[in-house]
Amino acid sequence: MMDDKDMQTPLLQINQLTVTLKKRQALFKAVDNLSLTVNKGEILGLVGESGAGKSMVGSAIMGLIDKPLFISSGEIYFKQRRIDINAQPFRGAEISMIFQDPLVSLNPLRTIGSQLVETIRTHIPLSKSEALERAKRLLEEVGIDPARINAYPHTFSGGMRQRVVIALALAPEPSLIIADEPTTALDVSVQAQILDLLKQLCKDRGTSIILITHDMGVIADTTNRVAVLYSGRLAEIGKTYDVLKNPCHPYTKGLVAATPQINGASLKNKLFQIPGSMPDLNSIPAGCAFYPRCSQAVSRCEGERPALFDNRTACWLFDKGAKPK
Amino acid sequence: MSYVTASRLTRRYDLSDPWFIRMIAGRKTNVLTAVNQVSFSIEKGTTYALVGESGSGKSTIAKMLAGVLTPSQGSIEIDGQDFNNPGLNNANKKLLRQRVQMVFQSPYASLNPRWKIGDILLEPINAFNLIEDKASRHKRVIELLEQVGMSAHDQMKYPHEFSGGQRQRISIARALACHPELIICDEPTSALDVSVQAQVLNLLKDLQNENTLTYLFISHDLAVISNMADKIGVLKDGELVEEGKTSDLLANPQHAYTKMLLAAAPDIGAYIS
Amino acid sequence: MRRFFQSDIFYSFRYSPVAIVSFVIIVFIMLTAIFADLIAPNNPFDPASLNLMNGFTPPMQANDFTGEIFLMGTDDQGRDLFSTILYGLRISLFVGVMAVMLAMLLGVMLGLVAGFVGGWIDSFIMRFADIQMTFPSILVAMLIYGVAKGILPPEVRYEMSIAVLIISIGLSEWVPFARTVRGSTLVEKEKEYIIAAKMVGLSRYQIMIRHILPNVLSPVLVIATITFALAIIAEATLSFLGVGVPTTKPSLGTLIRIGQDFLFSGEWWILFFPAVTLLAFALSINLFGDWLRDTLNPKLK
Repeated sequence: MMDDKDMQTPLLQINQLTVTLKKRQALFKAVDNLSLTVNKGEILGLVGESGAGKSMVGSAIMGLIDKPLFISSGEIYFKQRRIDINAQPFRGAEISMIFQDPLVSLNPLRTIGSQLVETIRTHIPLSKSEALERAKRLLEEVGIDPARINAYPHTFSGGMRQRVVIALALAPEPSLIIADEPTTALDVSVQAQILDLLKQLCKDRGTSIILITHDMGVIADTTNRVAVLYSGRLAEIGKTYDVLKNPCHPYTKGLVAATPQINGASLKNKLFQIPGSMPDLNSIPAGCAFYPRCSQAVSRCEGERPALFDNRTACWLFDKGAKPK
Repeated sequence: MSYVTASRLTRRYDLSDPWFIRMIAGRKTNVLTAVNQVSFSIEKGTTYALVGESGSGKSTIAKMLAGVLTPSQGSIEIDGQDFNNPGLNNANKKLLRQRVQMVFQSPYASLNPRWKIGDILLEPINAFNLIEDKASRHKRVIELLEQVGMSAHDQMKYPHEFSGGQRQRISIARALACHPELIICDEPTSALDVSVQAQVLNLLKDLQNENTLTYLFISHDLAVISNMADKIGVLKDGELVEEGKTSDLLANPQHAYTKMLLAAAPDIGAYIS
Repeated sequence: MRRFFQSDIFYSFRYSPVAIVSFVIIVFIMLTAIFADLIAPNNPFDPASLNLMNGFTPPMQANDFTGEIFLMGTDDQGRDLFSTILYGLRISLFVGVMAVMLAMLLGVMLGLVAGFVGGWIDSFIMRFADIQMTFPSILVAMLIYGVAKGILPPEVRYEMSIAVLIISIGLSEWVPFARTVRGSTLVEKEKEYIIAAKMVGLSRYQIMIRHILPNVLSPVLVIATITFALAIIAEATLSFLGVGVPTTKPSLGTLIRIGQDFLFSGEWWILFFPAVTLLAFALSINLFGDWLRDTLNPKLK
């Protein structure tokens, strides 16, 4: 699907992004010095628990960060060009976003056809009839009968509505789609269909997808690469198979071990428990954010924040240049 | 005999228009059958899981077993006693209620935001009049908090000062307050993060072993159910389409719907093993 | 108490000039009204202390006949306007507070029952509320006043007029309370902690009072503030129209009515000072109520 040549020119590059929250004159970092890349034609998973900052990263790319949050440092490059944080129209045409709740993503007072046509014509100069044709083809692509183009959103079920939302996201022919928990509100069977659809679109169109979720199972089923976030920082990143099968970062190890599996023989054994919980924004430890909960911590972890080693994990245990303990 | 027996449970909702509108507009009656003749039984000390998607009726069944919804048809027996027997006087009704408690899905809506934790835990103790003197009641509250891994001074705080996982623990403590025998867990970890979910599920398992509790566990998540249940019942559109021991059902699903659910469920296990 | 000063509400208050200024004005006016006895130079309600020759004295000018100086001048009967306003404020405040409490009690109770019990009781109460809203409160007040005047003996006239004011304003302002509380009740009663309470065997009444009521009260405070302003103005209007407090012990509204007669003959101060006081008070309450509503609004986070 992708050759090494493409690997050298990432589609999206985030450099040292920091998103800060201002509350009562104090500043807190919701995303802290995060860097990652998205390649062409791949599905990158952004996984983390609530408060890890994964949705924030998606919003930052789309320019949806509003007071009291703001981007305090870092740059985002799309197709090698630096994105101006406030440039709306640019993003709409090249990067699209899908949200969790299809109920509120669609205007209930307008037919899906009119919403699709409007989105198409905003980004591509077409006549009304041409846009309508294109809209019908988009509906076919996402698995909706094009005859329903004049139907209203409330006549569709949750899963079908999410397909309409995906069609809307595809309308401007974007190179990148950011999907923020797109299947969390859907039933399991519908979820499987939507995830399959996303995989199909990536394969057929070459559109890259950033899939934001808290569900490790979804990551396993859908993504090529995955980035694990903790307290607004990158804990681990790599090919999904590698990260899930052989996790490096103690947090990733804990997450994988804590995720229940469908196992015909599983006889109510206890799941692995990571002690404690993710720190609040105002009490993130000085060194490694995971230090208080880590069973493999060394003294260095307490005071110094680890850098990303091997392009894989931010953990002092993997600092090959370090002296032995 | 099984500890819990549900026989041909049915729940209908009448969604018809008022009769004279039906007369004028010529519309038919419209009755929604949320639960249709569902029967199952649970052995004491075991966990029975009901799995289904939205609209399957699992929450309705939970509410009927909890006693907050009356079945249109069918019966529920707990330890041999008919739950909805109109002949039961109030005292016996209360005794029966004491044996069944519930843990809910939403950590945010399951605790009264204006009450202190201590008061929330005292309420069932007071309502069932289980302990006579005040001092012992307060001791019991502390005991409950410690049983779920929290501390005594949490009783002066309000729910919003706690995280989702901690609130679920408090809900569990409240459910334990009156020494119930059956606890209905309605998607107790669906709103929680993975690591917190592990803590809560482990806690539920420990409590089951320590207190010989029987669980009716409701979820849409097959992975969680695999980990928690002895027996599984699969619900589709209000009907129980398949039932069986966990290991059997997962290894050899019979019904097409069960097979479909298993195929569709995202599973990290299949990926890394 | 300390928790309050650390809370978000207080923080927002400290940094909002509108909230602080309006709050200060409200407290100032209320304190002067409460301590009217101590502040007022003389008691305007005591007919014996009045001297008709003092009438129509302009503010801060010596009276032609008696040589007395009055801060805000005097009205047609020789009453010191400043003192009269202070005592009049008392009446206005009393009526305002009592009317709001009546409306609140009635509205919250009806809203709770309508929301929680539902069914035909809910429909009945809400239709009743709708019908009630179609009658302007002034008309309702005049109706009650007329009926009361016919029934009760003249000696209790004064107390009667206060009671009539309170009852009529209270009865006409309960609907916003009921509607809001009913809405909140409908939302709260679906929440799981109510199911938990039912499972413990609590009666409907117990659940309503112990569980639902504390959770539906926060918007009530905002409505109470706004209704208070409305009640003050309603009282002034009714007195102005002559169906409120009689002129022997005037409230602000009565004073305004009196002053209106003399506006164009040059004695402007009789209208001016009571009107400005009423304006400042009602405006401050409204602004404070607006600020309160905005702060208590669950913010997006």
